[in-house]
Amino acid sequence: MKRILTGVATAAALVAGAAQAQAQDYPDQAITLVVPYGPGGASDLAGRALAETARDYIGQPITVLNKPGAGGMTGAGFVSDADPDGYTLLLARVGMALTPAVNPQSTVDWDAYTFLGELEASPMILAVKADAPYDNAEDLVAAIKENEGTMTYAASGATAIDGFTVQALLSDSGMDPLTAATLVPYKGGGELATALLGGHVDFLAISAGSLMPHIKSGDMKPLMVFAPKRMDDLPDVPTADELGYEQAGQITGWSALYGPKGLPEDVTAKWDEVLAKVAEDETWLTLAERRGSISTVGERDMAEYAKQQYDLFHALAKKFGYIQ
Amino acid sequence: MMNDILLALQAVATFENFLIMAAGIWGGVVIGAIPGMTGTMAVTLALPFTFYMQPVPSILLLVALYKGSTYGGSVSAILIKTPGTASAACTALDGYPLAQQGKAGKALNMALYSSVIGDFISNLSLIFLAAPLAILALRVGPPEYFMLMVFALTAVAGVSGNSLLLGLVSACMGLLLATVGEDMYGSFRFAMTNDMQAGLAVAPVLIGLFALPELIKLIVFRNPPKTEPMKLGDNRVSGREFRASLKSILRGSGIGVILGAIPGVGPASAAFFSYGEAQRSSKNAANFGKGELEGIAASESANNGACGATMIPLLALGVPGDVITGVMLGAFMIQGLTPGPLLFQTNIHEIYMLFIGMMISSVLLFGAGKVTMRMFSYVAEIPPTLLTSVVLLLCLFGIYSIANSMFDVTVLLALGVVGFGMFLLDIPAAPFLIAFILGPMIEENMRRALAISRGDASVFLSSPITWIFAALILFVIAVTFRREVAKARHRKADRA
Repeated sequence: MKRILTGVATAAALVAGAAQAQAQDYPDQAITLVVPYGPGGASDLAGRALAETARDYIGQPITVLNKPGAGGMTGAGFVSDADPDGYTLLLARVGMALTPAVNPQSTVDWDAYTFLGELEASPMILAVKADAPYDNAEDLVAAIKENEGTMTYAASGATAIDGFTVQALLSDSGMDPLTAATLVPYKGGGELATALLGGHVDFLAISAGSLMPHIKSGDMKPLMVFAPKRMDDLPDVPTADELGYEQAGQITGWSALYGPKGLPEDVTAKWDEVLAKVAEDETWLTLAERRGSISTVGERDMAEYAKQQYDLFHALAKKFGYIQ
Repeated sequence: MMNDILLALQAVATFENFLIMAAGIWGGVVIGAIPGMTGTMAVTLALPFTFYMQPVPSILLLVALYKGSTYGGSVSAILIKTPGTASAACTALDGYPLAQQGKAGKALNMALYSSVIGDFISNLSLIFLAAPLAILALRVGPPEYFMLMVFALTAVAGVSGNSLLLGLVSACMGLLLATVGEDMYGSFRFAMTNDMQAGLAVAPVLIGLFALPELIKLIVFRNPPKTEPMKLGDNRVSGREFRASLKSILRGSGIGVILGAIPGVGPASAAFFSYGEAQRSSKNAANFGKGELEGIAASESANNGACGATMIPLLALGVPGDVITGVMLGAFMIQGLTPGPLLFQTNIHEIYMLFIGMMISSVLLFGAGKVTMRMFSYVAEIPPTLLTSVVLLLCLFGIYSIANSMFDVTVLLALGVVGFGMFLLDIPAAPFLIAFILGPMIEENMRRALAISRGDASVFLSSPITWIFAALILFVIAVTFRREVAKARHRKADRA
């Protein structure tokens, strides 16, 4: 009996030792970074930039895998269901907090992850065509009121982040967010920008990365920025907060790095270390600037920020009438 | 200006650039030819490499992969009736029968000539007509888009084979399958499982419908029908045959260029459109689907014609039309270049380099096509039983690797069974695929148009572009109806 016990103890010690050894070795193979949207978009670029920068610091290749679908929930679910070994991670976007907040049937909850860290803030811009008769957000809001629901805006969907930007603005201006203007759904930043360029819709409020080229070329007019502060590239365009739009002022786009729930401590420690280096990496910073984002690596506690974002969108969804 | 061009030529014409483009084109052709591996995959995989390259070579690499894979799709379409990419689906309709008649080489050559000519015309349009075409493309709003896509759908009439009715049944099945998943307003349709929420991808449906039934046939019927397939055989396209197809090639290229310039249309729709068009206006209409070189010419010139043209909205407006140009936009931005009108002012040197590089890549496409053709001709030596097993393996592996998704593999297998059932019932597969690809575009643009007009259906006849397409649609319906009536009368006469 004693022998058996010793045997068990030894075995347990061995297993524990092995587990520890394995843990210390993280990572000893390639890491998969899941991007829950299609290739070529803002999230894809952010994911690929992180993969390229971080692999030198983590010492293993990072493969980007696009898993688009269901507003990002397909890829998010794939990661939250994956083994929490640190080899499957998620390039999380604002959608990971927004979708569960507005859709009770959403397959992945906002906190079904280990939060490894914030990556970037990607401002959203309210824009109209260059030849539109509005020169500021107030003009546009007045016109929307006057036209009683006939003005159109392009967005990825009613409960997508670029739909919420507009609806929050409408709600702040005392209008019904769902009927004061007509939503025309398009897929992806490219299609959205084209819809405005071609004059098929009247306005939109989508991520800066998709709009900046057209603003720079003079084909679009920026009226307002959805971000905590003004953009360096657009110093004359006020933020929603400055204009006194209370709910709109809290909305902005962001990316973060998530893993499945219950990641071992050494994995999170390793990523803390790696992200601290990424935060100061020249390539990372240049790439962020080029896609219209501001690097925010390590500036906030991500778990807390994700909760805040979830609460914000949950409250808005209730107010707008998407949920009871 | 001349000086600028010479400088750009000097900058492009380096050994390294040639190597990059040749590798891109040839790699693209091979990936395109392997069933289940797509051009999108090739371009996405190559993206991280471009982070370390000069701006122009990196874009040229992506363009080369795109062009190569679009042509490559025709190789497997002709040799093993498995279009490597959706845009080669119509190529299989005539290419495979030709291969069975021992004229695979002829078909492959015709596909290559048409692809290269389409590609070349596409490059010229990009260089000289980018601005007007981009303006035209922006005019295409949801109502115009809807009418255009409905017209493209009339190609179904041309690929229905013997029975228009069965063709329509097939198309309806395709349209129905295309509705699976989340719709544009966020409601779920036929989403029985979580995987289905994202809808069905094109690649597994395409491969399942075209490649798997062939394999199942082999298993079920034991003795494969006695054909001596895939001998390159009579492999030259004679001057007479080329001249007979020239009209279809030129028209196909034109269709490719115009449709390619409209964001979101893409090579597959252009190829369906062109094939339908050629079939309607050809003297050899009756031979389409039985091994008509003109069919290959129409389909292949249009899909490669669309390739270069998808660069038009990207470069002239900074608007990506599809996933591949979306990746290219990403590559441009990573390099610090922002596509759009400003690019022509601030980076004219790079633009000239890009244009020259694209012209060179047309020539390289020709070379790569010839080499690949020879390589794949050994497919002829492989016994059909072995070949089909290898193809099945490649299909399974390729489809899985696109998104690491077992669900896609399930779709592939399920569609294989459906495809075999359709074969037994004599229902043609091509209308199914065409409807499956066009369906979402038709639906989304119809709903967008109605949202903008607040439910007023007259929006579909609100601009000259929509009038033109409405007239064309009526015309096609009338012609098809007349042909059907004539056929019915023949049958009656035969019986009497």
